[in-house]
Amino acid sequence: MTLSVSTTQEQATRPLVASVRDLRVHFETKAGVVHAVDGITLEIRDGETLGLVGETGCGKSVTARSFIRLVPSPPGIYAGGQIDFWSNEARQAKEGPIDLLEISDKDMLRIRGDRIAMIFQDPGKALNPALSIRSQVAEVFYQHRSEEILDALGPHVPRIVRRAAKQRTTSLERLFLRFPPFRSKAAQLRSIVDELVAQALSETQIANPRKIMDSYPHELSGGMKQRVLIAQALACNPDLLIADEPTTALDVTIQARILELIAELQARLETSVLYISHDLSLVKEICDRVAVMYAGRIVETGTTQEVFANPRHPYTRGLMAAVPSATHRRGQLAAIHGNVPELIEPPPSCHFHTRCPYAVDICRSMDPDTLSVGSSHTVACFAYESRDFGMPLPTLDW
Amino acid sequence: MTTSIAGLGTQEKTTAGRAVISLRGVEKHFPIKEGAMQRVAGHVRAVDGVTFDIRPGETVGLVGESGCGKTTLGRCISGLVPPSGGKIYFRLTDADAATLDDIDATPDDRRTKEQLAQLQRIDADHRIDQLGGKAFRAYRRNCQVVFQDSFSSLNPRQLVKDTVGRPLRIWKEASGQELTERVVSLLESVGLGRQHLYRFPHQFSGGQRQRISIARALALDPEFIVLDEPTSALDVSVQAQILNLLHELQQKRGLTYMFISHDLGVVRLMSDRIAVMYLGKVAEQGTAIELFESPRHPYTEALLAANPDINAETSEMKGLRGAVPDPANPPEGCRFHTRCPVATPICGWEVDDAVAWLGTHETILAGLTGVERRSNFDATLAFGDAAAAAAVGHQVENGDIPASMKAALESFSTDGNKVTLTFNPEGPVELEDVGGGHLTACVLHTSRRHRI
Repeated sequence: MTLSVSTTQEQATRPLVASVRDLRVHFETKAGVVHAVDGITLEIRDGETLGLVGETGCGKSVTARSFIRLVPSPPGIYAGGQIDFWSNEARQAKEGPIDLLEISDKDMLRIRGDRIAMIFQDPGKALNPALSIRSQVAEVFYQHRSEEILDALGPHVPRIVRRAAKQRTTSLERLFLRFPPFRSKAAQLRSIVDELVAQALSETQIANPRKIMDSYPHELSGGMKQRVLIAQALACNPDLLIADEPTTALDVTIQARILELIAELQARLETSVLYISHDLSLVKEICDRVAVMYAGRIVETGTTQEVFANPRHPYTRGLMAAVPSATHRRGQLAAIHGNVPELIEPPPSCHFHTRCPYAVDICRSMDPDTLSVGSSHTVACFAYESRDFGMPLPTLDW
Repeated sequence: MTTSIAGLGTQEKTTAGRAVISLRGVEKHFPIKEGAMQRVAGHVRAVDGVTFDIRPGETVGLVGESGCGKTTLGRCISGLVPPSGGKIYFRLTDADAATLDDIDATPDDRRTKEQLAQLQRIDADHRIDQLGGKAFRAYRRNCQVVFQDSFSSLNPRQLVKDTVGRPLRIWKEASGQELTERVVSLLESVGLGRQHLYRFPHQFSGGQRQRISIARALALDPEFIVLDEPTSALDVSVQAQILNLLHELQQKRGLTYMFISHDLGVVRLMSDRIAVMYLGKVAEQGTAIELFESPRHPYTEALLAANPDINAETSEMKGLRGAVPDPANPPEGCRFHTRCPVATPICGWEVDDAVAWLGTHETILAGLTGVERRSNFDATLAFGDAAAAAAVGHQVENGDIPASMKAALESFSTDGNKVTLTFNPEGPVELEDVGGGHLTACVLHTSRRHRI
């Protein structure tokens, strides 16, 4: 534990980028209200990579999408909590945070894709198959950088070109733009945007970006498509990048290249990253801090070193032991028995009690509190409680 | 081809005296059809000459990136698609295998009548696309498949009882109450129970659905099961359950597995022997330990280097440049040379590689007007003007051309607006034994080594 104190202190002094407090996201279904995210608290500090790990259906993606309010509603409901976000500008101006769940849709539009960007899981599905790469990447600039682009066009820009720079033209107006007197300004606008797009693509080490710009998603390989998505996400130099399993659909050889790229761009642009993955070994490689999620709750957080060297929660232990490695004998993998429980209006309890080998009565009847077990290491398990509940506490025998 | 067969035979438990499945130069080429007349414009070489044996009771792992042909090979072996070339034998005895190798070694026109008769007999008795009647049914019974996506491989409108009981019903093994009891015992053997009999697939989680698929595969008590990425859609905790179950079933029932996966950790755990596939060909094969401890092919090394390891103290993940080449037009020589970090001049550099390299420079190929290709190793590029051709010439002479590609360039000349490139032609690299049945198809380790 003493090993990581210095780095932890250094990290703790870094300013916050986002702080999630008691976030609850529910889904209304015929069977009842599903508590997909059931009161989670997270902090992301400037320039760090926070890994969010957990199994399918534990609420990782819903948490990530809550940051930019992409949870479909209905059936989704933000049932409580807040997500405070400090943009770089706000921090420099010594302003307070904004609550991403409270701001208007219009303000959200401005933040989404600009200050907070997201890389999605399946690059095949996240790109529009009917649009060229050029127009898909250009859209980011039209959305968030239209003022700067118009400034670059010089004074006396006709109104119709202004509208074009904000992608607000009608089809009739687009026809006008093809003829004098607007044609030259429209061409100038296009070339400025093309330049920005080419630059964004070349940042992701795509060879010959001008050629790629004219192609369509089906012409690119999975790794290339993911690079285009990264270019899109980082085009506006966001303060927070949310990467939702960005390499799950890719081969390991391509995965390593994409992760190198994200790490390099992160270092250069000083972006904070929320990295979501189900793959523990990946998270170990690339994250500074880890939060382990199970059934809508965070069961353990800490620096990567703390959590991997000394996992405290039975679930974290189980997950780590289940990864096949050279030391395992065949048929001797330590599987976690059972399945993730359904989260329809769960009673107060540790959600892991159905699969936990150490569960006792108290685990089935009360919500565990998040306890500190190290300088920045927290765990939500009754085994670490020092209070007296009048009931026996579980003992972990490792 | 003969070396590989001999190499494989030596390290096997030869007590059984026969293989379960024997592949001899198996190919599967899918035609690419074009135009209104559906003219065949070329072939996607999904599997392009694979030879190995699967012995009783062992697990053979098949790894590779997506698109390398591992699933297609699995489908060929299980008889779901007919191979377009080569032969697949079922339960070939060692004596017959030796005869077959002798016949294969003899050129077509010099085979004796006796040899031809033997070939015909072996084909009729063991070759899966020529089996008839009873023998074919025995093959079908004994060769089952578990697919990757348990959602699409289970009929959503059938109850678990129907899905798992269907093989028994078709084979008239059981009916009525007996069928139900047989299905219950199958479900119990995969960790499910009687309460699951009358449910539909959508009522189960991913891990449970995969258990149902396994129960269905086990229904007829087969000898051999093709496991096509059985856990890649599952979480690690559930994956561990399924892998343990598969191992337990193998121990109890003496099953033979072919385990297809892209996850090296899983394949290492489950397999006795592993074949690494790249672009339709086997790049390296050997026992799991040999392959992981001392890989003899840069592709295997690259896969290992890219695989994150949870137990390693510090590990540096390293990726590979570029994407998998088009299997309709695979590279010459060693198919991996376009992405290989240690490629040599004799790896089969060709004109396409030079063009691909020039294409990474922004403007250099802009003036290209025509290509006159005499072979994959010899072509003339025509440019719009002499300046563009000279720029290419300058790039090849002084640019950042890979050193091994430059060394493979036999001649290079610029004539007006034309550039002629000629590479030393190289044949494909075949698998060779590098000791104890460990085979590799890398020039660094095989008999071509001395030419480097």
